[in-house]
Amino acid sequence: MANTSPSQMTLYRAKVARNRATSEPAWIKYSLISLALLFLSLFLFVPLVAVFTEALRKGLDTYVTALSDPDAFSAIKLTLVAALISVPLNLVFGIAASWAIAKFEFKGKNILITLIDLPFAVSPVVAGLIYVLIFGLQGWFGSWLSDHNIKVIFAIPGIVLATVFVTFPFVARELIPLMQAQGKEEEEAGLVLGASGWQILWRITLPNVKWGLLYGVILTNARAMGEFGAVSVVSGHIRGMTNTMPLHVEILYNEYNYAAAFAVASLLAFLALVTLALKSFVEWQSARVPTQIEDIS
Amino acid sequence: MSIEIRNIQKSFGNFQALSNINLDVPTGELVALLGPSGCGKTSLLRIIAGLESPDVGTILFHGDDATHRDVRERQVGFVFQHYALFRHMTVFENVAFGLRVRPKSTRPTEGEIHRRVRELLDLVQLDWLSDRYPPQLSGGQRQRIALARALAVEPKVLLLDEPFGALDAKVRKDLRRWLRRLHDELHITSVFVTHDQEEALEVADRIVVMNHGKIEQIGTPQEVYDHPSTPFVYQFLGNVNLFHSRVESGKAFIGNLPLEVDAKDESNNSTAFAYVRPHDIDIQKESNIQSAFEAKVIYIHSLGPLVRLELQREDQSDIIESELTRERFLQLDLSIGSKVYVQPKNIRVFLNETA
Amino acid sequence: MAQKKNVLPGFNLSLGYTILYLSLIVLIPLSAAFIRASSLSLDEFWHIVTAPRVMASYRLTFGASLIGALINAFFGLLTAWVLVRYSFPGKKIIDAFVDLPFALPTAVAGIALTAIYSQNGWIGSFLEPHGIKVAFTPLGVVIALTFIGLPFVVRTVQPVLEDLETETEEAAASLGAGRLTTFSRIIFPSIWPALITGFALSFARAIGEYGSVIFIAGNMPMVSEITPLIIITKLEQYDYAGATAVAVVMLLISFFLLLLINGLQWFTNRRNQEFR
Repeated sequence: MANTSPSQMTLYRAKVARNRATSEPAWIKYSLISLALLFLSLFLFVPLVAVFTEALRKGLDTYVTALSDPDAFSAIKLTLVAALISVPLNLVFGIAASWAIAKFEFKGKNILITLIDLPFAVSPVVAGLIYVLIFGLQGWFGSWLSDHNIKVIFAIPGIVLATVFVTFPFVARELIPLMQAQGKEEEEAGLVLGASGWQILWRITLPNVKWGLLYGVILTNARAMGEFGAVSVVSGHIRGMTNTMPLHVEILYNEYNYAAAFAVASLLAFLALVTLALKSFVEWQSARVPTQIEDIS
Repeated sequence: MSIEIRNIQKSFGNFQALSNINLDVPTGELVALLGPSGCGKTSLLRIIAGLESPDVGTILFHGDDATHRDVRERQVGFVFQHYALFRHMTVFENVAFGLRVRPKSTRPTEGEIHRRVRELLDLVQLDWLSDRYPPQLSGGQRQRIALARALAVEPKVLLLDEPFGALDAKVRKDLRRWLRRLHDELHITSVFVTHDQEEALEVADRIVVMNHGKIEQIGTPQEVYDHPSTPFVYQFLGNVNLFHSRVESGKAFIGNLPLEVDAKDESNNSTAFAYVRPHDIDIQKESNIQSAFEAKVIYIHSLGPLVRLELQREDQSDIIESELTRERFLQLDLSIGSKVYVQPKNIRVFLNETA
Repeated sequence: MAQKKNVLPGFNLSLGYTILYLSLIVLIPLSAAFIRASSLSLDEFWHIVTAPRVMASYRLTFGASLIGALINAFFGLLTAWVLVRYSFPGKKIIDAFVDLPFALPTAVAGIALTAIYSQNGWIGSFLEPHGIKVAFTPLGVVIALTFIGLPFVVRTVQPVLEDLETETEEAAASLGAGRLTTFSRIIFPSIWPALITGFALSFARAIGEYGSVIFIAGNMPMVSEITPLIIITKLEQYDYAGATAVAVVMLLISFFLLLLINGLQWFTNRRNQEFR
């Protein structure tokens, strides 16, 4: 490969082309940058730093104690369970939905896409409430469930359901536009070559959208682990039983046990940072793929 | 394997893509489906492949009804317009795909797959690219890999959708000849779609000219070029001069030149269209009985063995084209502004057709 | 739902599964809210959803969401501009951090913002002497809603700004337009649909938000109590009918906003395609 690729050349030209005619005077430029950075630090960096400083305010010992508390531990476990169930469920749904929507034409497709977006528009509190209305003691299946001694609301199934609801669209939303953009020629080629539907899905379609898929999973997972409102409604806040990490943070906070609350919060904040890092990595990876074109003639 | 197409119809919504298509492709022949975009040629190809199904009609493969046969069981090889190479697989894996996805009972062994893929990559002369990924290949290379991939499953029929459409002019010419040679070697029944008449004329054994979802003419390149059966074929294949005329007492006219038409009574006073190829427009310095009209040379384009002239008719405003051999051109001693007499040959007249 | 003939397999399976799963998880549960609310008479329903305390919560929720979304529209546009047009050290990290409100659990954001803006917090202690109280007031609600809506405007405007061709700006400059004129007459008209979409997304998200607000709001009835909290309070008092009635009002507003946003995005896409 030559030392300057065509894309580097265009970038370089674009930079040169952005001369004085299309840029602002330096003082405006630096004021705008400063103003944006001031806003972002005030709203993003300060809160993030605050979480970690508050967590360590009373020293490392308090921090470790707060995290090794059995209730904290069970909250971590429940959070992981909720994520481990809702991520695969919504992943399978996302693949099915995007396959139907991106590879086929049918009436009502736009309505379906809008309906898939619905959970984003619904307040998390309302999301929790609707499951209470169905599975709660006074709900549709309330008496049947209690007769059979099954607990959904104020128990783990309710938490999982609420989590599935709020994370419902993430994978589908990533995959649909991606698969639509890729068309269906490669799938047809696979078909002519004799591949079965599952072989096409596994060997052609999914490898082609793997970064979008991963991106969707990362977002789903982040939201699943961090969801508060919906889970709060259905959880019942039973310590050591139906508390997820965010709910545990709330309980500790309301008990004025700030150091412990922030200690657990710092774990979640760390998770958020990991999410951002993974997200950037995936964005970088998926942007990199098409630029390997034409290094020979 | 022969293909017979019987009364195929296909519409997309209100758009009639194909109406009443009948076509026979004998075993081992290389057939071109030629027509402008939107004429239905790609739909027809996809129906043969089984990627679309016709609304009405049947398709016979080797005499057997294959209309409802699944794509996977048709034993066709399909080369897509944009190749549709699997971009996350190496060239080798792309070619091997059709063998690897076979059910265990019929799947060749790993060694057999390797041998077969190597053989095909040799055939398309790209064995040195087997570890590359499709985005790293040039257009012509992708095209040949797509062909190798299609051949890997030993298809009985090879179908190619605009196989040279996305390539630049030079590569296109080379690949065209290469495909012709490959076909002569393999003798596999092949159908390809193109909108480029030159491509069809050069490569195909037979050409199927299509327009507006109908077949206009089927014939060898020689037949369709020399004896177009409809005005559309005349205009679509090669350059042509068009002369309008009214039919009067069983005759149409180009200038003063009367033309016999196959006229019935009611065709009197209807419009006639006469088609003449530029190389059938001869030029004389002197008027004679064969002369149609007088014209003035307004443009001379002399490059290569043929000299192309643009002539302004004296009796009306039309401009016509003529092609002369260099010899004839020198002999006539023409220059811009020369007065000449035009003498058309091989005239074909169509009545009242909307061309 | 009729489908054009297509040879790819799995249409019935994938669409069937999609509709089944969508119905089980989303549609049927959502309809439960409407069915439950329909057991109320119209009078009862109206009485519940227009009670003074509930009305006060609408005013706070919508007012604070609107202010938060406006702040985000302005600073989001500024941030997108700075990220696309200028280069400065640490730009990539800043760019990644814009998504923090998506990644950080809302409860964590809530307690962090409360800690900062309370009387003895880092920022609160600066504001206190000037008589500005943020935590446990409606102002705190605005801060929290600004935080959670921050990425929307940036992420909708950014790609549109990236796609703008410098050539049109150069053309404007060559025709004698100043920088400000170029921005207001050339650049702004191409990004405003995205800006409005981002604003609407940020607003819609803020209206339903719960986790980050309840810690900082103080939750005083009639003053700093948001509508989602009203639902929770009614639920805790086992007033299911009341909670459902308020939830239905919120759902209707969400549906309306969703349709509006989809319409806006459709409009933006179509416009961009036409321009290509």
